[in-house]
Amino acid sequence: MAESALHIENLVKRYPTGVEALRGVSLDIAPGELFALLGPNGAGKSTLIHCTTGLAQPTSGSIAVFGHDAIHDYSAARQAVGLAPQELNLDWFLTVEETLDYHAGYFGMPKRERRERTRELLETFSLTEKRDERTRTLSGGMKRRLILARAMMHRPRLLILDEPTAGVDVELRLELWHYVQRINQEGTTILLTTHYLEEAEQLCDRIAFIDEGGIVGEGTSAELAARYGVANLEDAYLALVGRNELSRSRIEVTAS
Amino acid sequence: MSAAQIRFATLWRREVNRFMKIKKQTLGAPLLETFLYITVFGAALGSRIKELHGIEYVIFVIPGLIMMSFAINSFANNSSSILQQKFQGAIQDQLSSPASPLELLLAFSLGGFMRGLIVAGLTFVAASLLTSLPVDHLLVLLPSLFLVGFFFSQLGVLTGVRAEQFDDVAFVQTFVLTPLIFLGGVFYSASLLPQPFETLTHFNPIYYMINLVRYGFVGFTEVSVALSLLALAAATGALFAINLRLFTKGYKLRA
Repeated sequence: MAESALHIENLVKRYPTGVEALRGVSLDIAPGELFALLGPNGAGKSTLIHCTTGLAQPTSGSIAVFGHDAIHDYSAARQAVGLAPQELNLDWFLTVEETLDYHAGYFGMPKRERRERTRELLETFSLTEKRDERTRTLSGGMKRRLILARAMMHRPRLLILDEPTAGVDVELRLELWHYVQRINQEGTTILLTTHYLEEAEQLCDRIAFIDEGGIVGEGTSAELAARYGVANLEDAYLALVGRNELSRSRIEVTAS
Repeated sequence: MSAAQIRFATLWRREVNRFMKIKKQTLGAPLLETFLYITVFGAALGSRIKELHGIEYVIFVIPGLIMMSFAINSFANNSSSILQQKFQGAIQDQLSSPASPLELLLAFSLGGFMRGLIVAGLTFVAASLLTSLPVDHLLVLLPSLFLVGFFFSQLGVLTGVRAEQFDDVAFVQTFVLTPLIFLGGVFYSASLLPQPFETLTHFNPIYYMINLVRYGFVGFTEVSVALSLLALAAATGALFAINLRLFTKGYKLRA
């Protein structure tokens, strides 16, 4: 069997307050997959991502990134992961160019390679003109692009996108979709969390539903709809959160 | 350079770059402050006091001021840098990198150490130009200053990691460090104090640091140099060990 890009087994995360954010999550993402993780706010999506990238420490269970134990062999595991977090967590003191350069430096990339890669990603994300500006002066959309560029700097084999299109305009959302699809076709495995169900349907091979710290469904969009006995992914999601009454099929069409 | 060396150099470069970008606040202000102390205590007060233990008053004060600037700048830099990055969430970029807890701790520590070294170094150069400041015991002075800088770098890291708001950092600096430094004998000799203040001064760890640095410069001390150096080394080592444990456990850094 081929090595998984991300293999999670029985992952439990219990905070000192007693809150159990993850209750024995198991997940397997194959190399080259574009995988979506859907779930309501507070379901455990970000905690799962934080455990994978070292930002949270699991209580029990195991995580392997391309065969590297993310807890005990964290250095090799983190080298393979790129994270574009949900929050715009940019360093105000740095310029756009420094943000990319420093990130690649943290991952051990030599200077010449960093310079070339920075130029390439600034161009890809239309940030070249902003290269010398401090990050705090950027617009929300620009910050979002920079965060994605930063995650890509060290050429990760697994890219984790935590709600990458939250709050961005239509144009940028579609640009990001195109980019995500392109790098996936070039071989990067992608784990995407989103609240936009059409985004998951459009981009992803497989989708998992997470709720109250556990994976409650997994498969293609059609498989999930069939599992909940509904017509589409959105209705399956509504069934999951127990809000079937919100289904679009129940909204009366008033426009003539 | 190996990948690990590049990683460490970048982590360290980020810390130095941060304070170099706000030089007026991080280097200019402390230099002006030290210059004002020298002016007030040296020129104004010095004209009345003349000598302490046979040493010209301004010369007696300068070693303490150099130690104080090294200490406060090392502390302030690291506590602010870490807390700011925690606030912005930007620290996640370093925490999710392959860097080990030891690499992260050393890089954060060295940022403040460098700033303290620059301010203390410039204070020394300025003081040497303005006065005839001797360096009597270089082999005591160098390890003493190194340990003072490293101790306060560690204290800054510890405070920054534990802090949840800027008030927490300001509290330690204003209500703990500043009184201890001022009452530790920067501007006077503890042996001139009435009881119980003279005895109380001996419970202030900074008193020993000031005496070590003063001994290194002018050859005068009120405490045992060997014992003080040993105690300072032990305290610095202990603080470093505590910080390393906190970084390894991810205390207030990783959820």
